[in-house]
Amino acid sequence: MRVAVDAGRCDGFGYCEQQAPEVFRLDDDGVVVVLLADVPAEFADRAEAATRACPVAALKVDP
Amino acid sequence: VSEPLGTVNEPASRAVVVGGSLAGVTAVDALRCRGFDGHITLIGDEPYGAYSRPPLSKGVLAGLEPADSVMLPPPPAGVDVRVRTRAAGLDLQRRVVRLADGEEVPYDRLVIATGARARTLGGPAPATVLRDLDDALALRDRLRDATDVLILGGGFLGMEIASTAVRLGLSVTVVDLRLPLVGVLGPWLAGIFTHAARRAGVRIVVSPGGARPLEAGTVELRDGTRLSADVVVTAVGDRPNVEWLAGSGLALRGGVVVDARCRVSPEIVAAGDVAAFPDGGRLRRMPHWDAAMAQAKAAADALLLGEAAAAYRPEPYYWTDAFGLAVKIAGPLPVEGPPTSVEGSLEQGSALLRWDRDPQATAVAVNYHLSVAKLRRLTARAATA
Repeated sequence: MRVAVDAGRCDGFGYCEQQAPEVFRLDDDGVVVVLLADVPAEFADRAEAATRACPVAALKVDP
Repeated sequence: VSEPLGTVNEPASRAVVVGGSLAGVTAVDALRCRGFDGHITLIGDEPYGAYSRPPLSKGVLAGLEPADSVMLPPPPAGVDVRVRTRAAGLDLQRRVVRLADGEEVPYDRLVIATGARARTLGGPAPATVLRDLDDALALRDRLRDATDVLILGGGFLGMEIASTAVRLGLSVTVVDLRLPLVGVLGPWLAGIFTHAARRAGVRIVVSPGGARPLEAGTVELRDGTRLSADVVVTAVGDRPNVEWLAGSGLALRGGVVVDARCRVSPEIVAAGDVAAFPDGGRLRRMPHWDAAMAQAKAAADALLLGEAAAAYRPEPYYWTDAFGLAVKIAGPLPVEGPPTSVEGSLEQGSALLRWDRDPQATAVAVNYHLSVAKLRRLTARAATA
């Protein structure tokens, strides 16, 4: 599974980081960075959940 | 309500989640993330899968963001997602959800997440509201052809709609019983919004006796004043969607009554806008984004762990974006008096503010990027600037 971010939409809430800190992190400007675009299977459930926990729908998933 | 509900003993193989928006989708994710490997059915009555609602009153309403930009990735593989499907009843004895077309969906574990709908004020014409994506698209199209808009209700939603309408070049009037947002935010914080709204040209009408919709496009204030506009939008809060549960035997008092673990019974939980929690002898719904997500996680825990699950602990978090003020709030509301500045100032256009009080401070970021977690940390009693 791959995840992608639309940084232009990101509003810096950080729900994704709370849900899957191995995969998403907010940078110093409070904008999300994807740490593991190719998500290892062990984090897949939580990373996928994180994409649905974005208040502004800034995260996408490719199966 | 305080009686321990215990735990269901037989293994669960079928979870049914009724409600396809944030609380429902989050509950599905939480069940999967916590290891539930049974069958999950997610039932929603909208024509779409889950989408993000916060942009509806902003970018979508402004026509800047297309409808498909708010769609969320679909639930995990293997989840049976039913759209355009309305739950019409619940049989507790037989453990089935009855759908509008008569089909019965059996469950071992049930999540009630049917949310809320817009409250309206009656009147001869159907109210224009903004609750779901179709509402937003319809209002977007109407605002395109309008020159003025009247908004009944100066809460978060009403002020966001007002802000978007002003940006679209419309003449905007907001009517409320009090000054906009003052009840929820307190006078100081509400004041920065009313100031910005007026500066943007919004006319604010305070009508302590309320307003009554007449024929389409006209409302009458208690003092007899009549106001008219091309479009009248009603944004006066919400009502929980509990009618489908009437006669089921569940306690319905201003929402689905749950315990501190979001439970109705050992095998049934409720989360999101529909759930009413005991709070100091009263029942309280918390119809906000962050609360819906937290409740859905707590509810999933309770379904799987019973008494061993942690209780849901409300951690107030709200945000809004109107008139150039992107504001995020952690901690109890309303706040009184002026804040201390942690960083920046409103004059500079960006500020991190705090109202110190026991046992928890309220921290507010205005046009200031700070994650939910970091803003919450500033509300700890010992936090210092």
